[in-house]
Amino acid sequence: MKRFVSFLLLVVLSLSFTGYQTAKAKEDTIKIGSVYIFSGFAATYGQFAKQGLLLAADEINKSGGILGKKVEIYFEDSHAKPAIALRAIRKLVYEKGVNFLIGIDSSSVAKGVVPYIKELKIPLIITHAATPDVTGKQCNKYTFRISVNINQNVMAGAKIAANTKAVRWTTIGPDYAFGHQSWEYFQKYLKELNPKAKFMKTVAFPKIATEDYSPYITAIMAANPDGVFISLWSGDLVNFIKQANKMGFFKKGYTILMSLGAATEVLYALKDQMPLGIWAGTRYWFLANDSPVNKHFVKAYKERYGVYPSYNAQNAYAALYALKYAIEKAGTTDKEAVIKALEGLTFEAPAGKIYIRPEDHQAILNVTWGKTAYDPNYPIRILKPMVIFKGEEVTPPVEETGCKMK
Amino acid sequence: METLLINILNGFCYGMLLFIISVGLTIIFGVMGVLNFAHGSFYMLGAYLCLLIVSHTKSFWLAALTAPLLVALLGALMEALLLRPLYGRDVSFQLLLTFGVLLVIDDAVKLIWGAGYHSIEPPQALAGSVNILGNPYPVYSLFIAAIGPCLALLLWFFFHKTVYGKMIRAAAMDREMASAVGINVPLIFSAVFFLGTYLAGLAGVLAAPLRAIGPAMGDNIIIAAFIVVVVGGLGSFPGAFTGAVILGLVESLGIQFVPQIQMAMPYILLAFILLVKPKGLFGRE
Repeated sequence: MKRFVSFLLLVVLSLSFTGYQTAKAKEDTIKIGSVYIFSGFAATYGQFAKQGLLLAADEINKSGGILGKKVEIYFEDSHAKPAIALRAIRKLVYEKGVNFLIGIDSSSVAKGVVPYIKELKIPLIITHAATPDVTGKQCNKYTFRISVNINQNVMAGAKIAANTKAVRWTTIGPDYAFGHQSWEYFQKYLKELNPKAKFMKTVAFPKIATEDYSPYITAIMAANPDGVFISLWSGDLVNFIKQANKMGFFKKGYTILMSLGAATEVLYALKDQMPLGIWAGTRYWFLANDSPVNKHFVKAYKERYGVYPSYNAQNAYAALYALKYAIEKAGTTDKEAVIKALEGLTFEAPAGKIYIRPEDHQAILNVTWGKTAYDPNYPIRILKPMVIFKGEEVTPPVEETGCKMK
Repeated sequence: METLLINILNGFCYGMLLFIISVGLTIIFGVMGVLNFAHGSFYMLGAYLCLLIVSHTKSFWLAALTAPLLVALLGALMEALLLRPLYGRDVSFQLLLTFGVLLVIDDAVKLIWGAGYHSIEPPQALAGSVNILGNPYPVYSLFIAAIGPCLALLLWFFFHKTVYGKMIRAAAMDREMASAVGINVPLIFSAVFFLGTYLAGLAGVLAAPLRAIGPAMGDNIIIAAFIVVVVGGLGSFPGAFTGAVILGLVESLGIQFVPQIQMAMPYILLAFILLVKPKGLFGRE
């Protein structure tokens, strides 16, 4: 018994000793907390973001870190639920002591989390959630977004739509904030660009994770639209396309816009089942930018992970670099100073030049759309022709966003 | 009118897929009293194994033959090693166990295949479309719609006209009596679990050409399967058949006529049936 107790004491002591060591080492690191979806049907997004972040962290650490300190990233699963994401963020902030947060895939999670970021007083760079509200009516000085949001992507789509012959438009989108807001803004912007555009009463808003799209496909086809604006994404878009293919949806001559159709996870899943000649958008297209920064990123990502980078990977990668440049510009990791440095920051990301607008903390960057096309050099559909919109062309002015930070 | 007819067809095709998915769940419950939460995960495994076999052998039919067997073997293992020790105990232990297996399989699939999406196409023979009321309709969906009733008939024949079926029904009705007349009840239970998970795997293989194959695809389908099974009556497979057809039609006609509350329709149906017939349509417990 005595032996056992002393053995136990030894184990406990050695464990706490190592704990002490690592605690000391941690003061020389910059800790980033990262909350994404790592489980469930959308788990691929968390995986992409993590891959982008780890690639960026390795590159940054190999070249000396940020202000000489190493970057360490802690990942937590939001499960796509606001309450769980909030718990994860509190754990990262209080238990792990992270200095900054990068993350959030789901728009509903973002809307739930952003008000509390203000309470926690920790900067969060959003890299995926696209609802305009987090840099709009919910904006606060701790929340930033490095990625293309709904308005920017949809405005670009509306410009494309205005140039087509389609007059009667309908939509198929997921039945939550993202789907409804995408359609709301598409109608608004298209009406301004093409007053002749009409928006049909028959629309389709299938719930997330709908198994069987055939009744929706039947309904839309029966309504005989000219143009269809599709904001479905992730596995739902893959499901929809598979089922719509077989029902002749893509052979009816509709003008089809898919606001997230050029997401690499969708293109890789479908390969040549992805229909050709569809206008597709994305939040980053790996072939849209010839810059050395992008070429390097695409090559490094493909070598390390075997696939071309998706937008979620680029956005996370760019977010860490944004933090690096801001911290270096501020000369300190003090949160308030870094926030000031992030405002108005301009830097080269793989997606191109990114400017973080100080008034609402929304990034202004190029938005790419294109027509899906076959290219023997790539295992997936690529976009040809590509239409690249300058960020200033497609970003609504601050007055329109509802953000009253300044 | 055309839209209504097509939607009835849509609902029936989806219903038949639901039936194939749910029948294994209801059989296991009916005979063993175990509500197998991991049923959706076995379905998902069937789909992923189909993906694996098709990507290596290009043969969907080979996958249809072998994948359900592999899933059923795993099911039999689960029953023998994990469930059997819990038979005498409180039902909640079995529920917790099957839920635990669900979590393990979900994560295992993500570890092995990654979190991305995959897609396979129906076999050549079934890959086309036929013209129905002026629009193409996938042959493969019609194939599933035809398989459903065939499977139902096969199962009915097995359970009512064969010795083994009678033994299973005897064990389901009264465990002690059945074992008193010499029926090897533990063996029956293992065989039934094997059959139930085989059907789940088969459903996964058949669904694979119609769906994006991705993580946790079983979690989505298990809810629909539960609704089918409860509406039809736990343990009754004519119930599963009827419940599946009703749910399929409620979904497709709901989308056509009441799109604003369409998301709630399956639950409204469930609540209605439970109020009117608490044991389900064909329930006999």
